[in-house]
Amino acid sequence: MPANVLYISCVLGAIAIYLLLRPRPAALKPVAVILGLGALGWVFRSSSLAAAVDRPNLFFYIFSLIAIASAVRMITHRKPVYAALYFVMVVLSSAALFLLLEAEFMAFAMIIVYAGAILITYLFVLMLAHQAPQPGEDESQPDYDVIPREPAAAVAVGFIMLALLTDTIFQGVPQMRPPPSPQQLQAESWQIVNLLPDRIERSARREIDGFESFANSDPSVRMVGDTAYIDVIMTGSPQVVTVEAPLSALPENVERVGLALVAEFPVSLELAGVILLMAMYGAVIFARRQSEISETAS
Amino acid sequence: MTTLSLSHFLLTSAIIFVIGLIGFVTRRNMIVMFLCTELMFQAAAIAMIAFGHYHGDVSGQVFVIFILTVAAAEAALALGLVVLLFRRRATLSAEAWSELGEA
Repeated sequence: MPANVLYISCVLGAIAIYLLLRPRPAALKPVAVILGLGALGWVFRSSSLAAAVDRPNLFFYIFSLIAIASAVRMITHRKPVYAALYFVMVVLSSAALFLLLEAEFMAFAMIIVYAGAILITYLFVLMLAHQAPQPGEDESQPDYDVIPREPAAAVAVGFIMLALLTDTIFQGVPQMRPPPSPQQLQAESWQIVNLLPDRIERSARREIDGFESFANSDPSVRMVGDTAYIDVIMTGSPQVVTVEAPLSALPENVERVGLALVAEFPVSLELAGVILLMAMYGAVIFARRQSEISETAS
Repeated sequence: MTTLSLSHFLLTSAIIFVIGLIGFVTRRNMIVMFLCTELMFQAAAIAMIAFGHYHGDVSGQVFVIFILTVAAAEAALALGLVVLLFRRRATLSAEAWSELGEA
């Protein structure tokens, strides 16, 4: 990845965003769109780095384009309600990116919590604060929604920061520790399965014909090389048989996240609960109408 | 087309983050400014999950759950504040409140 490509496309993108932010010359908007798309495409095309994760990449390009385009539209749209709806688009397409990254739980939690709960709150407040147009004049936008504040300075600062960030990414990522191999990942997953004896028993009952019980009272998976084995007793014979552990016992994404949440980060989980409780108190206090409390009253 | 790497996701995340930053500075509507901070949270979440996937670790996703918590708390408090301010001045312009005092 030559640094020049990065800097030139940052400048092109900055010009595009600046033109899109300004309300006045509407003729320049298509030019800005083409400029921005060109810069984006160029950066992604020339960033052919050492591949670490092989994924069906067409979906990545589609959803990342939708996310970036909706984000741009969100900050350039005059009407706040449309800005909120474009943010829903950003959330949905980034949830799709999470699916590509095998984070199913977070993808759906994102849609439910962000698009479902937080955005609805934003829309409610926007509707509450909507001023009805005066009789005689048509639906006009308030001044503060139409004219951006210091677009040139903001775009300059933002894209200098983007150049810095992307430069760091492209220099830093090749120096990172190489990712663990699929075998290592599977071995790690078997370690997690050992914490969940019920789970392995359930899938052993389902998948192994004639399964009677485990040889030890505490069923655990033994790793021999890259393969996992369990000691079981079959129906009708007292001998201990060693069989390959069924792959369906491996934990799924939701289970791994849940286990990490309660086993590795229990204090943070409690703290998150406290934060939510405090936010609830704060919101109740803000929302209440101010009532006069006189000090002389008994 | 090239195969995907961690950098692709980080690049998307960085671009969305910077767009959110520009939006926060240029927009003058208080609610849209808060929406732009949510955009930055979203970008951070993409970066976290991409790193987590690269290392085969679920800690990235646990972090995103906490980001979600903070975002929800922030949205509740910020919107409560905005409603309170709107009741006093009947405008959503951030500049109406450039001097915080008794009004």
